[in-house]
Amino acid sequence: MLRRTRLDRELKSKLSIEKKPVKLLGIAGIVNKVIKDYQYDKGMLIQILLRLQRNFGWLPREMLSEVSKQLGLPLSQVYQAATFYKAFSLAPRGRHLIRVCMGTSCKVRGAPVILDRAQRLLGIERDETTPDLKFTLETVKCMGCSALGPVVVIDRDYYGSVKPADLEKILSKYE
Amino acid sequence: MGKIVTLKIDDKEVKTEEGMTILEAAKQAGVEIPTLCYHEGLDPYGACRICSVEIEKRGRSRIVAACCYPAEEGLKVITRSPRIDKIRKTIIQLAAVTAGEDVAGEMRALASEYNADLSRFRSRVPMEPIKCILCGLCVRRCIEANWDSAIGFEGRGVNRRVVLFPEKAGICSTCNYCYVVCPTGRISSAYGPDPPFPFIDDVLAGRK
Amino acid sequence: MKVMSPEELEKFRRGLLARRKHKRVIAVCVGTGCVALRAQKVAEAIKDDVKKHGLEGRIEVRKTGCLGLCELGPMLIIYPDEIPYFRVKPEDASEIISKTIMKRKLVERLLYKDTITGETVSKIKEIPFYKYQLRLLLENNAKIDPRKIEDYIAIGGYSALAKAMFELTPEQVIEEVKESNLRGRGGGGFPTGRKWETCRNALGKPKYAIVNCSEGDPAAFKDRALMEANPHAILEGLIIGMYAMEVSNGFVYVRNEYPLAAEHMELAVKQAEKMGFLGEDIMGSGLSFRVEVHRGAGMFVSGESTALMSGIEGKTGEPRPKYIHTAVRGLYEKPTDLNNVETWMNIPLIISNGAGWFKSIGTEGSKGTKVFSLVGKVNNVGLVEVPMGTTLRDVVYNVGGGVQNDERLKAVQVGGPGGGFVPEEMLNVPVDFDEMVKAGTSMVLGSVVVLDEDTCIVDLTRYFADFLSEESCGKCIPCREGLRVLLKVLNDVYEGKGKEEDIEMIDDIAEIMKEASLCALGSTVVNPVLTSLKYFRDDYEAHIKLKRCPAKVCKKLRGENQKWGRSLP
Repeated sequence: MLRRTRLDRELKSKLSIEKKPVKLLGIAGIVNKVIKDYQYDKGMLIQILLRLQRNFGWLPREMLSEVSKQLGLPLSQVYQAATFYKAFSLAPRGRHLIRVCMGTSCKVRGAPVILDRAQRLLGIERDETTPDLKFTLETVKCMGCSALGPVVVIDRDYYGSVKPADLEKILSKYE
Repeated sequence: MGKIVTLKIDDKEVKTEEGMTILEAAKQAGVEIPTLCYHEGLDPYGACRICSVEIEKRGRSRIVAACCYPAEEGLKVITRSPRIDKIRKTIIQLAAVTAGEDVAGEMRALASEYNADLSRFRSRVPMEPIKCILCGLCVRRCIEANWDSAIGFEGRGVNRRVVLFPEKAGICSTCNYCYVVCPTGRISSAYGPDPPFPFIDDVLAGRK
Repeated sequence: MKVMSPEELEKFRRGLLARRKHKRVIAVCVGTGCVALRAQKVAEAIKDDVKKHGLEGRIEVRKTGCLGLCELGPMLIIYPDEIPYFRVKPEDASEIISKTIMKRKLVERLLYKDTITGETVSKIKEIPFYKYQLRLLLENNAKIDPRKIEDYIAIGGYSALAKAMFELTPEQVIEEVKESNLRGRGGGGFPTGRKWETCRNALGKPKYAIVNCSEGDPAAFKDRALMEANPHAILEGLIIGMYAMEVSNGFVYVRNEYPLAAEHMELAVKQAEKMGFLGEDIMGSGLSFRVEVHRGAGMFVSGESTALMSGIEGKTGEPRPKYIHTAVRGLYEKPTDLNNVETWMNIPLIISNGAGWFKSIGTEGSKGTKVFSLVGKVNNVGLVEVPMGTTLRDVVYNVGGGVQNDERLKAVQVGGPGGGFVPEEMLNVPVDFDEMVKAGTSMVLGSVVVLDEDTCIVDLTRYFADFLSEESCGKCIPCREGLRVLLKVLNDVYEGKGKEEDIEMIDDIAEIMKEASLCALGSTVVNPVLTSLKYFRDDYEAHIKLKRCPAKVCKKLRGENQKWGRSLP
């Protein structure tokens, strides 16, 4: 559904959450392509990081250093932006992103129990990734489906009116 | 030369250039307003809120940060009062939650002047003290002096910390600007903070 | 094709309407909420069935944005009959086509059933949920596919822009907005016309205008719904404003969690550029306007105006001291006008219908309507628009259909994390900027959450404090440390470890945060805490003194050993 440019497809093909040494993937080249696409505009730092996050899956150290170098910004500013916002992950994420909605309406309808169950089923806390890199568990505040609370979103699939007992079945659908 | 405005600071009439802040105008008039995160050579940051003063404008009074609020014609400023003192005292007590009770420098001086009980909130929220109030002076000074700094902020909200970027530590060899500006004594000597700020990698790893 | 004059626009519009005259329309909601219930599959099934019967020439299947009654989604409406069907499944498609479309017969089980009388309702306007609303901004959702600019033009879109640019001077546009008394829909309710005037008169070029779609309230989705469903209306309002304030660069800031809204807006900008409503020489006027869409990266505080502008500048989205209004010094230190999505959407209506019309709706101090999400333990959860002055009681009972399962209403929470609690006794307060503040709570803003006796106020306040401790930027001491202590104290009270002095400590912290914080997040964060203490002190005392949770929610006080929620640093 997202408009894919040629650049996005090229970046996506380099998506790697396997243990390949980061250097082999030509991080400097990837960063350069994105920065060029945004015309080396320093003001687009956040948009550039978003693009890299979206297509690479996470932001390794080397990538942030490259952004600082090529965009001409202090390293601390790039880091501050990368660690300030929730959209960015500085560690590899799982293949599937589980988001449990903890908006007020979902909370009032029992979302915390769902989160608790998910944590126990996966053996991780929120904002963590399972050791086999299969799932990353996060919470969000209001996806906008308050009528269906509690809501769980996995990748692009929305699940509404979720009961704790449903979780296991839902999770088993994912490889 | 800008337009000259007249304002009142603690019943003293002060004439100053439009665009100057209350803090600068007060200094001109010889009135001391305490600060923690302010430094003359750097842009005002507005993080510590210690310079909070009471202003009255068109019959309404409010609390503003003197380091940021621009001087206006006819402004009335009060820099000490029971209300202000309570605010400053509470701020110091709150800052002590993260910083701990063993602080030196400017913060210690303010704590005794405002009779702050550094353990009031800290006793309720016990945590590892870091002797840092996140005023940002070291970070801002480093960027200003070196452009690319060896230290920076990481994280947000209650998890905000100052961290060290090891690959940039080379900048540190001769500069000691951060030592000069630190208000809590965290950066305790010209050789840098002791213990050093956590490395960015450790912080990120520890979080996961 | 580029429209090079208002006359060409009219001609184009007439052409569109002529081609659409004899078609019946099935409007299927594919807003994020309904999509979660497989609404895309419903729309596809209906499309396939229409094709199967060879009816494409006479039936248009339109994928729209939010149609309102999210509780009963997926929903669709058949025009011109105005028949609404609810809880539609893909399997129902063939029955809908064969019965209602081909034989004009109703499918009873998909109709709305009145909860008390059991009668079915076959016209959308007769359903209580819709009857008690005044859907000025929302009613167009069913008439347009947000991905098609032609739909928007067909219902009169961009004619307000033509009127503003060719029949009024910029000053006259501002006068009209001032006269209408439109007040900001995203925050403090500042008079929009005055803000525009300040920006226009401020020194400095270039000037900027921003649409704020960063909706951080964890219970609100009105801005998302508005932008997903009708991005062109927002864009038209923005361009009118840019004309009035002589701004050539506009930004639309959309939070990261709303990818569909951002996508629709990006598409709308492209289509507007193609048709000549953006770019160079708009409609032959000689003026040029540019609009860019920026996505957020996941922070609530970045919705604060100075933080938002910091983000657009590429810096970390932290608030800056705002003693000089951003309309005078904002983005890149230049005059910048920032308005909420809903505010911008009202502009084309005001220009088309006049300030006088707008003033006839609402109360003395608050004109027009208010859009918000009605959620929680209420029967009719959905997206609501009522005229200002409607009481909260009417909202909950008439529009909302009352509390779920006939439970007793404990309170209503309005305005999100910066808002307040409204106990049952105060429910007659009208939705109005000034009245609500006068009554001791805060304005509705984006959401109204209905709470019954099974909700623990202490727990919910703790939830807000937790939310905010993560979302605070952490720059200033009162807010950062204040929230840290507040969260610890509330957690203790929740777990039964509260102490007598705690209420006094909470009061002290609330006071300092309110007075000395850097930005509005810090100073409004305390509203839920203060209102909860004011109206539900007994609940706190029960937790502290009697170690009991009246709502039987707080697990530790029920003797169970389950622990959830954030642990403190």
